Amino acid sequence: MTEKKLTFNLVTPQKQVVEDLPVDMVVLPALLGEMGILPGHIQTVVQLGMGSLRYKQKGKTEVFAVLGGFAEVSNNVVNVFAEGADLAGEIDEEAEKQRIKALKESLSNKDADIDFELAELEIKQALTRMKVKKRRF
Amino acid sequence: MESLRDIRQNIKAIESTKQIMQTMKMISNARIRRAQEAMLSARPFAKKMLEMVDDLRTDVLALPQAPEEAENIASRFFTNLSGDKNKVGLVAITGDKGLTGSFNAVVLRSVLQFLKKNEGKEIYIFAIGKKGRDFLSRLKMKNLHIVYESVGIFPKVSYAHAALLGERLLSVFFEEKLGSITLIYNDFKSLASQHLVEEQMLPFTFHTPASTPKEEGHDFEYEPGLLEIFKLLIPRLIKAHMYRVLLESQAANLAATMNAMDSASKNAGELVTALGIKLNKVRQAGITNEILDIVNGAEALNS
Repeated sequence: MTEKKLTFNLVTPQKQVVEDLPVDMVVLPALLGEMGILPGHIQTVVQLGMGSLRYKQKGKTEVFAVLGGFAEVSNNVVNVFAEGADLAGEIDEEAEKQRIKALKESLSNKDADIDFELAELEIKQALTRMKVKKRRF
Repeated sequence: MESLRDIRQNIKAIESTKQIMQTMKMISNARIRRAQEAMLSARPFAKKMLEMVDDLRTDVLALPQAPEEAENIASRFFTNLSGDKNKVGLVAITGDKGLTGSFNAVVLRSVLQFLKKNEGKEIYIFAIGKKGRDFLSRLKMKNLHIVYESVGIFPKVSYAHAALLGERLLSVFFEEKLGSITLIYNDFKSLASQHLVEEQMLPFTFHTPASTPKEEGHDFEYEPGLLEIFKLLIPRLIKAHMYRVLLESQAANLAATMNAMDSASKNAGELVTALGIKLNKVRQAGITNEILDIVNGAEALNS
């Protein structure tokens, strides 16, 4: 009997990051905690929070920083709809730090004409990316 | 008969128009690649998301109607029983500029057909693109309400534009209790052709009938609950859909500009050639006349 695999799709509004990739396991950053998906998982729809998404393929693990979204598991197909997804290896910590610093400065400047909610969200996203980058699996 | 000077001036004018057209063509050509890439990469998200909503449809329709929310929020997107049939929404996407061949005209024509078909109903318009906005605001029909307009977003459509449009769309859909929302735009088929799409966006239409709730493979687990997910999912889907449509329209617009400019500069080239021949003929006729004068004069002296 051939080993069962999951078919993994990761799409963001900007592009299709991963397409129809056979993987052994996917770990989703669900809103209520991380959630591991193995082949044969029950059909599920979950809302994703910000955090790390990982998949295992032949013993190798790839990590993404995901910024919220949804995931659907159905018939061994995992579809992830993420607001944003960055490969952990491609995250530039220094750039993220700079971005946070700039955003915090504009937040503390009361006269600045910026969208506070948006700025806070962006800080959160940058922090998430940094956290994912630092974490070791 | 035109004088030599007139013809020369004419040729000059056409030459410079041709140059402008060629430049415009080159600009669209450079932009279209990026537009096409953005469009192609936005396609899977919207498509897959729609598939997921299709999967959830059975469960949504099976929700008990008892808590008010079930009909108000979720199943409205599928059956829309509480919508007012005499109120319809229309999203018309045109370009901002002319010189695009029939690109804007086909959209506006089918918008007019839509208005005719829905005569007597209250029509809520979402106008994207300057051409469509101007056209619709000139119509001055009593039952026409322009509730959203957005101009000058091409050729730099971003997700933010789609998000704004999507939010407005949903809020009008709920506040005014629209019966349906229709979408009219140009779909990008290839560099050489665009085709007009008129589709009902809300309530969602699916080609397959909803499966019965008991059918196997249709018991999803939800985290958090189905309604919570659905409430967040729908705005997301609408925005993704709008984003895709805007990008399609943008790429189609650029392709149309390119084609129109291409044929226009070809025409200009032909005109220049024709005028050049005419110029030569007129000049030759002038020379012949002069020679004739001289010869006639000489003959008169000889005789």
